[in-house]
Amino acid sequence: MKKEKEQIDLLLRQNESEQLAGLNWNRLQISISKRLNQADRNKISMMSYRGVFKMTAGIVAAAAVVFIAVMIKTYMPTTVRFENGPKEIGTFVVSKDSAKVKILDSNQQGNQGKGRPSWIIIRTSEPKVADNGKNRDEDDFACLM
Amino acid sequence: MNGIPKANTGSVERLVKASQTGDRGSFDELVGLYQRRAMQVAVRMLGDADEAAEAVQNGFVKAYLNIDRLREPKRFEAWFFRIIANAAISQRKAVRAGTEKIKISGDCESKKVISPEQKEVGKELKEAIRMAMLKLSKKQAQAIVLFGIEDLPQDEVAKIMGCSAEAVRWHVFKARQKLRVLLKDFLE
Repeated sequence: MKKEKEQIDLLLRQNESEQLAGLNWNRLQISISKRLNQADRNKISMMSYRGVFKMTAGIVAAAAVVFIAVMIKTYMPTTVRFENGPKEIGTFVVSKDSAKVKILDSNQQGNQGKGRPSWIIIRTSEPKVADNGKNRDEDDFACLM
Repeated sequence: MNGIPKANTGSVERLVKASQTGDRGSFDELVGLYQRRAMQVAVRMLGDADEAAEAVQNGFVKAYLNIDRLREPKRFEAWFFRIIANAAISQRKAVRAGTEKIKISGDCESKKVISPEQKEVGKELKEAIRMAMLKLSKKQAQAIVLFGIEDLPQDEVAKIMGCSAEAVRWHVFKARQKLRVLLKDFLE
């Protein structure tokens, strides 16, 4: 048993010696060095890629923050000084087909004296039913209100 | 150990620390110090110098890219041999996948009667060992290479393999048992 164990080890060792006998160690070291150079290059390009990726992600995130801020600001009620005192005005959605309407006051500061009427902004298309439907007048009235 | 000198531990630690700071020259020195022992491990596991060289190159690249993660530079050797052993195992998988047909012919070859001349170390032995090693499990191959032949301390081998010293001895025993059957034509 012990002899067989030694023989197996000897066989493996013999094969190893045989395999390594003709090996060009310098060539192997050069090959390893080349692979390490390649790894270095990959690492550098990966780092620069990461830099570009980080920058792009930052720009996208900043744009998203600005967009969200603008959206919040757009839909946040604002205080407008009317003749009879300041009032909060904001966007609201008229029911039926979700037409969004914003009322602005022509009498607010900056617009005074220009003779502009009060006006509304319909942010999306007018409700479909408002074209010729039987609820047309009601919808228009709701918008104007 | 087959005339291959072991690297001085102190200088290895210094080279490892320098490599961890990005000193490529120091890592090149480590390559010079360890390429022979790495090839020994890989050849013993794969049975073929070309495949072993591929595994060693992959192992060195992996070590190079991860050396900053090595917390204890004095334990470089065990850490490095684990990488080499794993690289050799990956190479084994590739070889196994690519040599299914050769494996079958290898089975037939092991049954044929080999003359005493053919028993000499050479192509047949290389091929037989290569096939036999491929038939060992991953743990058995690792164990016989690192524990059975490579003169690393038992506890180091156990750490490299991530199991107990008893488990390593068991894997070595099973590996030898299999090799005894697979290489019986080459045993006197």
